Amino acid sequence: MTLTLILEQAFNGLQAGVTLFLVAAGLTLILGIMDVVFLAHGAQVMIGAYAAAAIAAATGNFYIGLLLAVPVTFASGYLLEFLLIRHLYRRDHMDQVLATFGLILFFNELIRIGFGPAALYSDLPPSLSGFVEILPGTPYPVYRLGVILVGLACAIAIHMFVSRTRIGAMVRAGANNPEMTAALGINIKILFRFIFATGACFAGVAGMMLGPITAVQPGMGEPHLILSLVVIIIGGIGSVRGAFIAAIIVGLVDTLGRVFLPAMLRLVVDQATADGAGPAVASMLVYILMAVVLIFRPTGLFPAKG
Amino acid sequence: MSAIRDFIGLVGDGVKANQTLWLLVFGFALFPIFSYFADLPFWNDVAMRIMLLGMAAMGLNLVLGYGGMVSFGHAAFIGIGAYCVGISQFYGISNGWAHLGFSIVTCGLAGLVIGYLALRTSGIYFIMITLAFAQMLFFLFVSLEAYGGDDGMSVDRGEFGFIDLYDPLRLYFLIWCALALVSLALMFIVRSRFGVTLRAIKSNESRIEAMGLSPLRFKMVGYVISAVICGIAGTLFASWQEYVSPDIMHWTRSGELMIIIILGGLATLAGPLLGAIVFLLLEESLPMLLGAVAPAYAENWMIIFGPLLIMVVLFGRGGLTGIIDRLSGTRGNADHKAGPR
Repeated sequence: MTLTLILEQAFNGLQAGVTLFLVAAGLTLILGIMDVVFLAHGAQVMIGAYAAAAIAAATGNFYIGLLLAVPVTFASGYLLEFLLIRHLYRRDHMDQVLATFGLILFFNELIRIGFGPAALYSDLPPSLSGFVEILPGTPYPVYRLGVILVGLACAIAIHMFVSRTRIGAMVRAGANNPEMTAALGINIKILFRFIFATGACFAGVAGMMLGPITAVQPGMGEPHLILSLVVIIIGGIGSVRGAFIAAIIVGLVDTLGRVFLPAMLRLVVDQATADGAGPAVASMLVYILMAVVLIFRPTGLFPAKG
Repeated sequence: MSAIRDFIGLVGDGVKANQTLWLLVFGFALFPIFSYFADLPFWNDVAMRIMLLGMAAMGLNLVLGYGGMVSFGHAAFIGIGAYCVGISQFYGISNGWAHLGFSIVTCGLAGLVIGYLALRTSGIYFIMITLAFAQMLFFLFVSLEAYGGDDGMSVDRGEFGFIDLYDPLRLYFLIWCALALVSLALMFIVRSRFGVTLRAIKSNESRIEAMGLSPLRFKMVGYVISAVICGIAGTLFASWQEYVSPDIMHWTRSGELMIIIILGGLATLAGPLLGAIVFLLLEESLPMLLGAVAPAYAENWMIIFGPLLIMVVLFGRGGLTGIIDRLSGTRGNADHKAGPR
């Protein structure tokens, strides 16, 4: 059982990691470049999941739901930046926390009014609900494997975009020194709006992919928000590479910790103590990790700013 | 003799400078009379909740408003304070003073450890590391099955010697006394040399360092004091609610505390209390108002509350105390109106 189980859980951890990266990538740019504490990023995950589920239900086609959810979340991010976020750039972090906290309440309630408080479940099309053998004797759900692949593809695309294109260079310059970037004649307003909408869009993609494997319900984004905050803090705010590495670490640590930590504790202490403390320590693990990283490297593993 | 006269003079000065605060505290002392004659006993309950949350927010305001340390995890201390009641009773200790003592010691120690680790960072990183510690404690209590885990545990009101909290209004006035004492203590702290230094650190940390003081030490002391105040509020909260669960330290509560402070006015003594009054009154009345206009959506009052918060941020600079100052024409200290960075 052990190798199969470890492999399976490692894949689950990887899947959690890449979805986490999609959420965190946008957030790290929003925090790093625009210096906005955007707590409603979790709501974008929720919007993506609901858009995909609702469109899939309306059209009867899962793939159309997935495809249309992307422009929907991009548009919602674009609108949000235009209506509210751009007024927050020059405010302090407290104001941003308060305003975006208000946004969370608003979006959660909006979804609750629109779709009811109960969780939506969307069925996978038959083509995606099978299993593949990743190793002889180790079946793994096709859909989760697909999530991993799409997530990795997105990660590579984001990396290429940020490091190889002209707009990517502007983004990096903006992360390093927004004032100087603006002084060099780059329209930082448009750049910000574009980054914000793209970030929201990636969170939406994460949400729409998570839809079929988690409960789609109001407030579903908040755990993702908190975890992705942990990720970008570990990775260093503003660093896409840091976010990727940290997301994979957090995904693996969280998933593997929950499965194996109780068993590992049993080797050291007696069973009753291990059973009691195991789940407690496992759920605290990522936060302990983050605290340790911050204590030794107060600006994260890969700080973007010099 | 002269020491006593000095003390009274000091209190007098403080009260004169913080009229709004003492007006509110005084108002809470008289509120039960009003609610008795107006036949609104339910509102005593709301008033107690306002005082408790206001007290916790006042504690947080010491670090957040005066010290400029944006802690996003103070609900953890409320939770620790509340669990001090639950866990003490679990082991047969029902004395309320003992609960308070435990809570002060535990929150002080927790504040010391978390403060020591978290204060090495600053800015967004500080916000996030305090959140991380709060989440850690939240999940710790969620998974401690012995103390009820996710479901929490019901508790009895603490036994405070001759004060029987099950008598009507005893709990109310116990909470009121705590509020008054915390207000008094914070008034002294803020006006003391320590408080002035804390504010100076907020506006220019390196200058304080250049003057030969250790900013970290001042921040630590402030952090511990605010943790203890939140702990006291949490302990009394447990007695009020007669129930303790991890929900009390959910991260949204840390957000709520921040909202209450910003709503009321940063770095003012009256602000957090004022903010708590408005926040909880909105929470109580919005469902009713909404129910009157559109009965089907009474439950969904947050759809109005959320945008309301955003409006406060966008247009209500300096919170309610800022508005009061502007209306009454008395320009308070510049802290109320921190401009753009």
